[in-house]
Amino acid sequence: MALLEVQGLRAGYGPVPVLHGVDLAIDEGSNAVLLGLNGAGKSTTLMTLAGLLPATGGTIHYDGQPLTGTPRARVRAGIVLVPEGRHVFPALTVKQNLRLGAWTIRRDTRRVRSNLQEVYQIFPRLEERADQTAGTLSGGEQQMLAIGRGMMSSPRLLLIDEASLGLSPKLTEQVFAAVKLINERGTTVLMVEQNAGVLAQADTAFVMQQGRVTITGTGSQTLEDDVVRAAYFGT
Amino acid sequence: MGAFLALGLFQGAVYGLLAVGIVLVYKAKRVFNFAQGEFGGVAAFTAYAIVVGTGLPYWAGVLGGLAAAVATGLIVERAIVRPLESSSRTIMLVALVGVALFTIAIIVLVGQPIPRVMPPLVDGGGVNILGAGILPQQLILMAVLAVLAAAMAWFFKTDLGLAVLASSQDTRAAQVVGISPIAVSRLVWGMAALLGGIAGLLYAPVGIFTPGFMTLTMLVPAFAAAVLGGMTSLPGAFIGGLAIGVVQNLGIYYLGQQLKVPGAAELGVFALLMLVLLIRPQGLLGGAN
Repeated sequence: MALLEVQGLRAGYGPVPVLHGVDLAIDEGSNAVLLGLNGAGKSTTLMTLAGLLPATGGTIHYDGQPLTGTPRARVRAGIVLVPEGRHVFPALTVKQNLRLGAWTIRRDTRRVRSNLQEVYQIFPRLEERADQTAGTLSGGEQQMLAIGRGMMSSPRLLLIDEASLGLSPKLTEQVFAAVKLINERGTTVLMVEQNAGVLAQADTAFVMQQGRVTITGTGSQTLEDDVVRAAYFGT
Repeated sequence: MGAFLALGLFQGAVYGLLAVGIVLVYKAKRVFNFAQGEFGGVAAFTAYAIVVGTGLPYWAGVLGGLAAAVATGLIVERAIVRPLESSSRTIMLVALVGVALFTIAIIVLVGQPIPRVMPPLVDGGGVNILGAGILPQQLILMAVLAVLAAAMAWFFKTDLGLAVLASSQDTRAAQVVGISPIAVSRLVWGMAALLGGIAGLLYAPVGIFTPGFMTLTMLVPAFAAAVLGGMTSLPGAFIGGLAIGVVQNLGIYYLGQQLKVPGAAELGVFALLMLVLLIRPQGLLGGAN
């Protein structure tokens, strides 16, 4: 059974519909990618899954149960969003940002401490900058912090919105490698990307166009798809 | 002159206490809370009604007064602040001025616009400090201010305090980590109202008090204290309050009594405010936060 099963999901902003029936199925442990161009509805999908936008139709099942509730309830259930544009707390230190990532499990100090060690292992740069305010970090470091903060509550499903946005190809590669590592350590990942390069490491891929998922397959199949090649590689 | 200095310090302690509440709300919500004084008004009048009206013991009056202040804070949060959350800060500011005036009107209606004398927490005559008769009540006030300023500074190092700061910096990101914006809003207004209530309870027994006494005499100097301290610094608000109190009274002494300048207290305060802001536009202890 899939960890996350989305059927016919509809959502939008006020009277403007953006999602016109999105279908997704993501197995536990998989490294999934949702690929699409600007305005396809990728971020809207993630925000609806995280509870930041209400669904206007369709169903979401998580771990076999219908998914409803506030953003906080979903974080507790293990669904954590790493939002587009990083959204770190600029005037707090790196360490304080990470501490707040563990907000929902803050009373379990042992787990908070071991999660912090794990984040520092994956992103050693964050440990070097632990006492620096997040606003003074470079774009790549802020992205690492946003992902690290997402990992602090031991999520089962990490939703990462356009981690490569505004990063150099080299940094993008580093961030993708870190996400791959996080996935290999047991967290199910759904990455939203415009950068089709990420398909190489994905075991499941969905391509979105105009509020619908139009292509579903494995990462390598999708990478060979003519439509995808034309839209993302111009070949 | 020593007497003016001492009086200034103790008056400044009340400004500081109100300013700490103003800074708390500003830090967390970027809102200028013009209702801060009236949380103290509600507390003082409720405590008076309990202690003088029903003859219950003093601690019951204190508890009742603080409970009334916190309840007022939570009602203001739910009925005024939250519905206006996404409107401009100017609208919010005017609405909070409205809350202060409305609260004063209620107090006038229920309690009549007559001056009252609240018995002090501790009886006894004045203590002579630098030639000024300082009431035990004022000494307590000073101690409470110091303890509260320290407690607030500590609060912002805890997870809960960090969550309040985080919400003010990026609401979306705070939601993403599971912090409920509504819970934070309630917490901040409840705490601000508690601080205001404490200020009212400690200040009312220092002299006679009438409806609106906190807003009319205390609020503007308290705002000056908050700005002087940097608007986001709790120790800054504390120091700013004391500085305003001292300068007001030294102004009365030097400009008023010796040079016969009218409005000497206000003149002193504004001269200080302008001087500090010219040299340090971010306030004494203001920073990025």
